Amino acid sequence: MRPGYLTSGRLVTVLAVLVIVLAIACGVSLAFGSERVPVGDILAAMWARASGGTSPLSPEHSAIVFDVRLPRLALALVVGASLSVAGSAFQALLRNPLAEPYILGVSSGAALGAVLSAVVFAAAATGRTMSAFAGALVTIVVVYAIGEGREGAPTERLILAGVIVNAFLSSAIIFLMTLTSEAGLRGIYSWLIGDLSGSSDALWPIALVTLAGGTAIALCARSMNLLMLGERDARALGVATRRVKVVVYCAASMITAASVAVSGMIGFVGLVIPHAVRLVVGSDNRLVVPASALVGAAFLALGDTLSRTLFAPREIHIGVVTALIGAPVFVYLLRRSW
Amino acid sequence: MSIHASRPANNPLAVARGTDPDARPGGDPLADSRGTDHVARPGGDPLADARGTDTVARRSRFLGAVTLLVLCAFAVACARPAPPTGNAASEGRPAPGGTVAQDGIGATGTGAAATRNVVDDLGRSVHVVARPERIVSLAPSITEILFAIGAGPRVIATTSYCTFPPEAANTNKIGDTQKPDVERILALKPDLVLVSTASQLESISERLGALGVPVVVTAAKGVDGVLTSIERIGVATGDTDAATALTTTLRARIESVRATIAGRPAPKVFAIVGNEPLFTSGKGTFLDDLIRLAGGASITADETTEWPQYSAEAVIAKAPDVILVPLVTHGFAAQDSGVPKSIAATPAVRNGRIVKIDGDLLMRPGPRLVDGLEQLAKALHPEAYR
Repeated sequence: MRPGYLTSGRLVTVLAVLVIVLAIACGVSLAFGSERVPVGDILAAMWARASGGTSPLSPEHSAIVFDVRLPRLALALVVGASLSVAGSAFQALLRNPLAEPYILGVSSGAALGAVLSAVVFAAAATGRTMSAFAGALVTIVVVYAIGEGREGAPTERLILAGVIVNAFLSSAIIFLMTLTSEAGLRGIYSWLIGDLSGSSDALWPIALVTLAGGTAIALCARSMNLLMLGERDARALGVATRRVKVVVYCAASMITAASVAVSGMIGFVGLVIPHAVRLVVGSDNRLVVPASALVGAAFLALGDTLSRTLFAPREIHIGVVTALIGAPVFVYLLRRSW
Repeated sequence: MSIHASRPANNPLAVARGTDPDARPGGDPLADSRGTDHVARPGGDPLADARGTDTVARRSRFLGAVTLLVLCAFAVACARPAPPTGNAASEGRPAPGGTVAQDGIGATGTGAAATRNVVDDLGRSVHVVARPERIVSLAPSITEILFAIGAGPRVIATTSYCTFPPEAANTNKIGDTQKPDVERILALKPDLVLVSTASQLESISERLGALGVPVVVTAAKGVDGVLTSIERIGVATGDTDAATALTTTLRARIESVRATIAGRPAPKVFAIVGNEPLFTSGKGTFLDDLIRLAGGASITADETTEWPQYSAEAVIAKAPDVILVPLVTHGFAAQDSGVPKSIAATPAVRNGRIVKIDGDLLMRPGPRLVDGLEQLAKALHPEAYR
């Protein structure tokens, strides 16, 4: 990895470039879909919306762009950003390159909540989001209680606790699913492998959670840099390690819970985007955290565009796209830098 | 497979069952495997040696059991290649205690032990007693058909998904359609097991068949295929007349729908099979067939997969006049989650033409498909039914 000596000028430059990349990704995502809507008309319609003029789009095309593509894009941005930030936080916190947002069982907790709502309460999709979030929160508390028994417990303990809880919950999910009919499970299956086409009702709460959690993690970025040296060294350098660990753990888990609750388990993003960002901009968390948010959002927006257009009007799973596109890109970055 | 072909009077399984109905479950494994051995090789006796070994080496019972199991597996594997259609009867061997059965539908025998060959939807020829008294149904659609043709009282077991008619609740339950409990099915000593490819894993029917249970498979395609399935099931259960009467009525009702809606323009229909994400019905499903028969034009009829995940914007662009929501009673698709907001900009939603019909009437390949057809036709062409 590069030594990455971070100056404020470098920080601003990198983030400005990424904001432009993100804006392009958003434009592409809005412009393409299974239906062909002229890009010029979309821009004109946006201008018309802002200025109160008349839109050149037909009502159908207007609905396609603003009621179908736009909410979905917003969801992709929020989920992509939150998974990437959570991934970068867990990788720094656990000092483990394999750490990803789902490693500590949050996703399984959310999935169990969702499956419970479907199997036991036969709830509709709105109930699914709520119960998934509740399931994730309970899991966060349980994993922390198991993994952080006493002061200074090694982070490996937390990972093991997460892995064990994960295994337990996965089995509970499979058990519950065997009790249900397949008709009710089609939705769950797609949700489990990740799905952005669902309702955007929960968009604002999820966005708020992500913003709050992401800010908390970003504020801890300097302490996380020191934590990566090792916990004792960090403490010696004046970091309140326990407090930082609790804040980062809770914030990263919360934003993971929020995104899993609304979009299921979209794989790959949270693991690989932070690594890719580090390979390019260095490993200073003050830059890695916000850059991961921007790159993750842009990546998921583009991935979702592909999932909607490759086999249109059929849709393919976003998780498939993220891994098929992301893995080769990551390999390229890896080979280039080492 | 060899079991299908074995003559029933000689079938050691039948004998064993008759003489020892309470085979010790979980008892001496050696005894059990010996039983299996008999079943697997009714004619030849390549396992005699193995049994001899067993009597000599009583102390190493476990070893003997293992050997037997391995040999049994080998024997069964060897017996496999016997083609399912080439059976004792068609080869002209007389079946003692019965008659020489003929191939084909409708063949009947005399006496209780008489069997006939029944051809199922997969073209397999299966030995079935003239009037099965212990029928097991492994699919909700089959259960409905059995009760509709009057074979209900002879149905001893169904799956946990078999919810219609209500009487089906009084039968034994052998698990769901994905993982039927093979042991329990065997313990019930069925003389006919009916399996549907619509909800059944092929492996189950092969396993049951290999264990000597007559398995008839239904594999209906389209509404017309369901009518054929009903008739075939009638033949298998010995209720040919009732089944024919039922299909005659059903055909008349389908024809009546066709006549009523004839010449009317077909509204564009979008079917929502799953809400989040949006799933619909592609080519070749019963739903697709019913929409066509009911005088509608499915906007997703060209999709090559049966249940594709579908783009909301494509739905808006295709502007369906009617949205069909089959109400499913389990899980998410259930409970009237309704029409997602993402497809609100369609003529169907604007004009409030959302049709909700019990999903069992639209997707279960049984006689009630025609009920679903009539409800759908009324909803698509209200003016024709005024």
